[in-house]
Amino acid sequence: MADGRFFFGGRMHLTVPEKLLRLNWGLVLLIALVGGIGLAMLYSAANGSWQPWAGKQSIRLGVAACIMIAVALVDIRVWLRLAYPVYALMLVLLVGVGMRGAVGMGAQRWIDLGVIQLQPSELMKVALVLALARYFHALDLERIGRPWRLIVPAAMVLIPAGLVLKQPDLGTALMLVLGGAAMFFLGGVRWWMFVFVGAAGGGAVPLIWRHLRDYQRARILSFLNPESDPLGAGYHGLQSKIAIGSGGEFGKGFMAGTQAHLNFLPEKQTDFVFTMFAEEFGLLGGVTLLVIYLLIFVYGFAIAFSSRNNFGRLLALGITTNFALYVVINMAMVMGLIPIVGVPLPLVSYGGTAMLTIMLGFGLLMSVYIHRDARIGRHGEEE
Amino acid sequence: MTETSKADDNPCRPRHFKPLLCAPAPMSGPGRTALEICHTRLLVTGALFIVAFLTIGAQLIDVMELRSPDKATARNHAGEHALPGRADIVDRHGVLLATTLVMPSLYANPKQILDKERVAAELAQIFPELSAAKLAESFNRPNLSFVWIKHDLTPRQQMAVNALGEHALQFLNEDRRVYPKGNLFAHVVGFVDSDGKGMAGIEAGLDKRLKTDPTPVRLSADARVQFILRNEILHQMTAFGAKRGFGLVMNVRSGEVLALASLPDFDPNDLTAASTDQLYNHATFGVYEMGSVFKIFNTAMLLSSGLANLSTKFDATNPIKIGRFTIHDDHPQRRWLSVAEVFQYSSNIGSAKEAVTAGVPRQEDFLGKLGLLNTPHFELPEVAAPHIPSPWHEINLMTVAFGHGISVSLLQMATAVSAVVNGGLLYRPTLIARASEPQGERVLTPAISDEMRRLLRLVVTSGTGKFAAAPGYLVGGKTGTAEEVQNKGYARKQLLSSFVGVFPINDPKYVIIISIDQPHGTHASYGYATAGWVAAPGVSRIIERMAPLVGIHPIDEDAPDIRRALMIETPVPEGRKLAAE
Repeated sequence: MADGRFFFGGRMHLTVPEKLLRLNWGLVLLIALVGGIGLAMLYSAANGSWQPWAGKQSIRLGVAACIMIAVALVDIRVWLRLAYPVYALMLVLLVGVGMRGAVGMGAQRWIDLGVIQLQPSELMKVALVLALARYFHALDLERIGRPWRLIVPAAMVLIPAGLVLKQPDLGTALMLVLGGAAMFFLGGVRWWMFVFVGAAGGGAVPLIWRHLRDYQRARILSFLNPESDPLGAGYHGLQSKIAIGSGGEFGKGFMAGTQAHLNFLPEKQTDFVFTMFAEEFGLLGGVTLLVIYLLIFVYGFAIAFSSRNNFGRLLALGITTNFALYVVINMAMVMGLIPIVGVPLPLVSYGGTAMLTIMLGFGLLMSVYIHRDARIGRHGEEE
Repeated sequence: MTETSKADDNPCRPRHFKPLLCAPAPMSGPGRTALEICHTRLLVTGALFIVAFLTIGAQLIDVMELRSPDKATARNHAGEHALPGRADIVDRHGVLLATTLVMPSLYANPKQILDKERVAAELAQIFPELSAAKLAESFNRPNLSFVWIKHDLTPRQQMAVNALGEHALQFLNEDRRVYPKGNLFAHVVGFVDSDGKGMAGIEAGLDKRLKTDPTPVRLSADARVQFILRNEILHQMTAFGAKRGFGLVMNVRSGEVLALASLPDFDPNDLTAASTDQLYNHATFGVYEMGSVFKIFNTAMLLSSGLANLSTKFDATNPIKIGRFTIHDDHPQRRWLSVAEVFQYSSNIGSAKEAVTAGVPRQEDFLGKLGLLNTPHFELPEVAAPHIPSPWHEINLMTVAFGHGISVSLLQMATAVSAVVNGGLLYRPTLIARASEPQGERVLTPAISDEMRRLLRLVVTSGTGKFAAAPGYLVGGKTGTAEEVQNKGYARKQLLSSFVGVFPINDPKYVIIISIDQPHGTHASYGYATAGWVAAPGVSRIIERMAPLVGIHPIDEDAPDIRRALMIETPVPEGRKLAAE
């Protein structure tokens, strides 16, 4: 016991090589595996070409992996102190794109940084987890029990969710709310609060409904029930199910999928990439990918378990939950279990910000693991 | 330390992480509860997600295994023709000429649109060909709950419309017949109406077959030859400022049509732009007085009658006056001409006298055997009945001899010429690739067919059809320049210039007929608009271009055996005026 304490937990500060040793290499391997599958699919989506997607994505994957390691090496307490500033910055950016979008034509969700077009709404997912983890870290159970203590974190979830919803980006807004709710739950908010909010929300629906503009109602209706028109809005879902179904047990083979390659599937390189994967690699490939995702998820939970500090635990849980939400929503969507909302398949879908967000998240997750024995006081001070 | 160990004995904690015991124990009473609550909830959340993953896995298996592609989903598998829709049409080599795609069409319920101007503007952005103002106007019409906005959307356009999130915009999937070759096969393949019913061409002629049997219909047509034919007709039309041009290429030993074109034509993918004339198939549905090409049949008939041979002479010194008509020669020789010379110089006077020698019953019988007096049986519904003399007088006997007073279609011409040159067997014309050797019906002896081939060669080597020559391919043929009927008389300036070409004439494989309607003489043709100038060069180029594609090699036209096979006994020089010997 004493040895272990001496080596790891005993010292508050580890050297970089020590940290690298403590890095969760199994998780890194799994991430690399999924990233590789993603590149292969983008290569196939372009009919066997690195242009226009796979080449760019491979660079992004490499850069994001470096960022992930860098984030992992930063002390968890630094992240705790940075939590609110990062959240505030993201909120400002979100408001910024919202205003620019209002000035310009139509919806604008990104900021052009030259190298990458940054979507603040994506990065907000990580920032929100950070901020909520810090907030709940500072509260003991007794204080969590007081409803007014929940006003601030509720606002922290609802303000960005509202801004994102206005863009309009239902998928991301949904993920922010669901991810936030999971943080509330894991943070220890009383069961009855969830029941209460659920009931209140349900009761408020008719009230809100009356105050909605008609076109907003129409949007919500068509979102809730796109199957009412399987030939129209249901086109995506139908085509994607056909593609998945046509894969069979072992798939049609790499780059041999017909549905995707014949352009029956729009956006095959982004949200619907799983359909192409399932078509080309069949049930076996689909289940394998699902199992890899599950393993990453289990890793995340194990890291949360291992954390000795509340902040790290909440952070790890928030990140893992977010990741799982990406996977579950995307897969459920392409398989026709839930209505179609724009959520990418993590590490596989083409897209820079989503990749960055997920890798930042994994960086934080690993930081939690490396610094699992750190003891942190209510306000980030070392104990 | 006791507290620490208690915390670490938490059964929820995986064994792997047990060594971390060393962490300092943070817990006093409330803290510990927090940790316990946290762990419970962590497990609940984890379990929830595991359930979600399992649900997805189950759905994956469900979609991939239970609904395998050969079941319900296959019906929507538009890419692989599992669709019980209309069969494809392909050419003899499998080139796709007509297929069915499922395409979405967009409509709106204007009553459900609130911000009509905004939706109209957004739609106009997706479909630049639509005007926002017109869309808004149609949305604003009172009591309207259905408006078509756009048919046949591309997936990209459909996605853009979906992205508008407008509840009132709806899609309807429709089967759309697509003709990848556009104009090229317009009159062969035809088109369907908006309900998918065949309206013209093969689409109409084989409508039932296309609806009931999903295997592709394989035509006898060859897309490459079709392209050449259409291209050359168009070229000649442009060169001579002609109004129309049409023609076909037929295999003389099977009746298979390799190419069939009628210009101006149309794009079956966009019928709105097509005029009545464009929709009219002049090659099979139009009947024309073919002029001198009919002398092929007249000569064959005379030879078959046994009343004359190639060197039998007829007096073509003076025009024939009969009633108010006078029969002239276009290339007058003003002497007695042998049967071969009558054909070579395309003498109307000589032909009329030949016909008189044979008489009406022989003429009617012979033309009937060649199928020139009946509506041909053909896969296209656009086939016309010929206009034949009724009653059949002496004057008809004479004019029919040189192709006036009788109107037939190019399809009938090609069928009959095939029989004349192929050794004497008549084959039913067809647009469907033949699976086996067809049975021909004998209409001519092989010997007379052989003589006819020599005569056709003579026209190209030293007659009116010199421009039809295609070195190495032994072209034989006959010109025909007909004056078109206008207001009960013939218009000297309105010509139908045709050429019937056969190659290789020593062993015929293909017959090519093109007709150029209302050509105008040009500087290059010294003002002539006759068949020898207008149609013959087109046939020459068609043969030069198509021969390599259909596997016919050029040969030495001056080789002794070829010369012998095509030799004609040179008629005795002029001056000796002999009647029938």
